[in-house]
Amino acid sequence: MNVEIEGVTRRFSRAQAVDGVSLQTGAGVFGLLGPNGAGKTTLLRMLATVIPPTSGRIQLLGRDPGGYGPRREIRRRLGYLPQNLGYYPGFTVAEFVEYFALLKEMPPGQIPKAVATAIERVDLGGRARAKLRTLSGGMLRRAGIAQAIVNEPELLLLDEPTAGLDPEQRVAFRGLLRELGERATVIVSTHLVEDVGAACSEVALMDAGRIVFQGSPDELIACGEGSGASGDAPLERGYSAVLRQARFAKEVA
Amino acid sequence: MSSTFEPGSLEPGRDQGPPDVDLDRVWLGVAAQVWRRRPGLVERLAAAALRSPGLARALVTTASLLPGWIIASSIVLAAGALATLGTGASLVPLFAPAVAAAGIAYAYGPGIDPAWELAQSMAVSYRMVLLVRVLVVFALDAAMGLVASAASGTAAAVTFGWLIPMTAVSGLALAAATVTRSATIGAAVGLTAWACTVVSVYTESGQLATAVVSSSLVLPYLAVAAVGGTIAWFATRIPRGTS
Repeated sequence: MNVEIEGVTRRFSRAQAVDGVSLQTGAGVFGLLGPNGAGKTTLLRMLATVIPPTSGRIQLLGRDPGGYGPRREIRRRLGYLPQNLGYYPGFTVAEFVEYFALLKEMPPGQIPKAVATAIERVDLGGRARAKLRTLSGGMLRRAGIAQAIVNEPELLLLDEPTAGLDPEQRVAFRGLLRELGERATVIVSTHLVEDVGAACSEVALMDAGRIVFQGSPDELIACGEGSGASGDAPLERGYSAVLRQARFAKEVA
Repeated sequence: MSSTFEPGSLEPGRDQGPPDVDLDRVWLGVAAQVWRRRPGLVERLAAAALRSPGLARALVTTASLLPGWIIASSIVLAAGALATLGTGASLVPLFAPAVAAAGIAYAYGPGIDPAWELAQSMAVSYRMVLLVRVLVVFALDAAMGLVASAASGTAAAVTFGWLIPMTAVSGLALAAATVTRSATIGAAVGLTAWACTVVSVYTESGQLATAVVSSSLVLPYLAVAAVGGTIAWFATRIPRGTS
């Protein structure tokens, strides 16, 4: 298993962002669904070793990220796209991807080819030498994806990767996700249930810091059947039904 | 370019070459050479000295990330040099630590460094990048200080005299910036602390430059620098990920 977490919690002052989450996943595309404030981004930030958990156990790529040496090794093999991608506006796309390849401690000799490959994979070859400040929101998102995949990560964490992409790019991106998921563990946080249905082999639904559902997209669809839940697509009905049930159970408790 | 993210079929028409030539592969080789940024002499030397191409890149790109700060530093130091020339008193040293404090505070921190979150997930420790940036700030300030001091005739001795107070004030600014997660507060703390020091020493001795030339202040400055550095170190550490 590339990701093993057990009883993980994260608290910010009084707010409990993540509340006792346990998860295990290997290679494949894992979708993380949930409403705003469900704790998806906080969970991804912990998996990206950006913030530590308040309590619980995290094991990534067979290593404990708490130690400096293992954490450094994890980070070399990690790809991360934050929800709010910060960038240096004066960098070109190629410079941006190359900079983070260097910070990931990739062997310098491999970097130029890896940068070119990553940029082509997100279809930004035509803008490789364009300054980031000149790119559209969708292009910036793709530049962010390029830096995340430049090191062929074994663990790829993508927070709202399709935000700003047009429908054609989203379809193409799902294809890239499926391809990456053949070798790596790809965890995608998204609001868009159709992305999950098209690309993910497994899905977890979070609400109020907890995982309230984990299974295949088909199993999530099954939860919505006959439930009377609202939604235009089967996955949306499953999503709504699970959330409604989880909230009702919480109220009763 | 292709309209999809799929590798292969990278460009319309490129797949029309001879069947034994992988044009996509050839193109990637060409693109790798065309798009790569060739490190200059400074970056190559830094990579050898730091034993890290990533840190070397951080070093040479830092200055270009902060043109506003560099311009501000130049203006402040130029103003100090002019004031020194006009009054005959060495006022430049009084400006230098404040410039360093502001520079370091503005080179660091979430909300200031746009790629802070991303950098936090990188194998090269962000604190190391920070230390490298501190080095850039000191080096540039010291270089500008040398030029300004030469104009006022006090040159190297005074410049070296600044370095310790610069270290102290910068360390304090850095610590404040990291603890409060605000570079603005860090800069304000550094500037305020330095102003208080200058005023209090002036009140006692009647000499404005005493704050930078008095040897009795060296140890307190070093202590402040050490404490500030320690606070910054703890504030930016990542605790053990398990409990």
